[in-house]
Amino acid sequence: MLKIDAINVSYGHAKVLHDVSLEIRQGEMGFIIGRNGAGKTTLLKSIIGLLTPWSGSILFQGQAVVGLSPERLSLAGIRYVGQEKKVFASLTVRENLEIAAYACQEPVEKAIDRITGFYPKMKKFLDTKAGLLSGGQRQILLVGRALVGTPKLLLIDEPTQGLAAIVIEDINDIMSDLKQQVSALIVEQNLAMVNRLADRVFVLKEGKIVSEIDDKSMMSDTRKLEDYV
Amino acid sequence: MNSILADGSPGKRSSDGERYPALSDRHGWVSYVFIAAGFLALVPILSTHRVTDFMIFCIFALSFDVLYGFMGRLSFGHILYLGTGAYAAGLFIRYVDKNPVAAILLGVAAAVATGMIIGPIVVRTTGACFALINLAFNQVGFFLVLSPLREFTNGEDGLGIHAAQIGFFNTSSPSVMFWFVFACLLAVFYLLRQLTRSPYGLMVRCINENESRVRFLGYNTFFYKWVTFVIASGVAGLAGTLTTLNYKYVNPNVMDVHSNVGVIFACLIGGAGNLYGALLGGVIYMIISNTLPRYIQSWEMFLGISLLLIVFKFRQGVWGYLGDLWSYYQRKREQGKS
Repeated sequence: MLKIDAINVSYGHAKVLHDVSLEIRQGEMGFIIGRNGAGKTTLLKSIIGLLTPWSGSILFQGQAVVGLSPERLSLAGIRYVGQEKKVFASLTVRENLEIAAYACQEPVEKAIDRITGFYPKMKKFLDTKAGLLSGGQRQILLVGRALVGTPKLLLIDEPTQGLAAIVIEDINDIMSDLKQQVSALIVEQNLAMVNRLADRVFVLKEGKIVSEIDDKSMMSDTRKLEDYV
Repeated sequence: MNSILADGSPGKRSSDGERYPALSDRHGWVSYVFIAAGFLALVPILSTHRVTDFMIFCIFALSFDVLYGFMGRLSFGHILYLGTGAYAAGLFIRYVDKNPVAAILLGVAAAVATGMIIGPIVVRTTGACFALINLAFNQVGFFLVLSPLREFTNGEDGLGIHAAQIGFFNTSSPSVMFWFVFACLLAVFYLLRQLTRSPYGLMVRCINENESRVRFLGYNTFFYKWVTFVIASGVAGLAGTLTTLNYKYVNPNVMDVHSNVGVIFACLIGGAGNLYGALLGGVIYMIISNTLPRYIQSWEMFLGISLLLIVFKFRQGVWGYLGDLWSYYQRKREQGKS
């Protein structure tokens, strides 16, 4: 699904990612963990086209995606949810979903039914201005908006950051429902979520992948994972 | 891209494209009655010709509001398109044919064409860059009609325009011009209202909020910004052709960069991002600029003070303030009922 091969990314003269390689297979949920400043967000931004690696390659379904615009990547099936939780604040929740549905040419009501199927509580605030939602509701709306159409790969940056435990549980449930339906690469510090959902964990340290874990028993050893975050 | 235009049928949107509930779809026809009644009520107070002038300015303010209020792009050179429409119509009547309807169509087409050519350059930019590039193009247009094209435009002396009468459409009659401009204003308002409430309008508002997020959803925002720019140019061009027909005269003042200030003021006073606000702001600005000079020598100072008031006290403009009052009144009424 996604294959990153030895990419190097810099901000000006500051090199942030060093020969980063990873692979996410069809239906797999990969997590990137690491300390602040390790380059996790930079890696996602490089995949979505916000940053251009100066060497290496990124292949999505066998096609090189470096240099493609965000809209082309989105139409190809890569959806990005940033950590800023920025919804279209002046629009209602329904309109936020509508605007995504028009882009994918998915019937609006079908899209809304599908998304509220993942998270039925959303029905209650469909006509609420998105700017009035809580942080957790915004995050769920953003994930829901990314699921409109037929996404093939979700890139999510710190979905549970700063959220209440009850909302984290909701997000965990939504992501569990999505398992096997869509591939995902998620930056996350919440090790309980990693433990529950991850098929593969990449440990990023100082811009390098220092460890790749695909053994469930190792992932459940949160004490060991804690050393990395 | 196609789907949003195809699905953009009027009335399909589930919620109001504007901020205030007072004049939503349910009361759509009421708003037209209010607008019509408002302008008709001004006729006995001012004069037919003056109110026609007000309405033309309101059409221009509506075009600017699409660009600034809805798409969030502040242009310091939007009057270029008004001037283009005015000169295209004027030159057509002077040198080609005296048919005013053909002149209007040509004026709008010229403004649209200018917007289509300049659009791809300016819509790539935002903020101060967008405002100043537009200003630069405006300045180029101003000097073109002033100097290199003076053989045709008569330079700063301008051109007298005398259109022929086509059926009942006699541009020399103030009352005919009044009703024609009145119909144009209502038509422009109706079309822009439908446009801003359509999925296309929704997308333009999203571009205003966060363009990169819109791109992440899969939209080619450049195309939509360009289309919006061209629509705003075309409507401004219509205002320009009507200015020429109303004054029967066109000179470089219709393209003067300083005149951009007026339309920016109008949108800010009325409340940007709301077509009713643009109309209200247009009328208020015209009343101020037509009345105050009689009593106060430095009347522009009053405009400056009102702008300061708007910035610090009424950020949503007069319409926004009225909307807040309306919401407050409704809340009180509901509380009273309960």
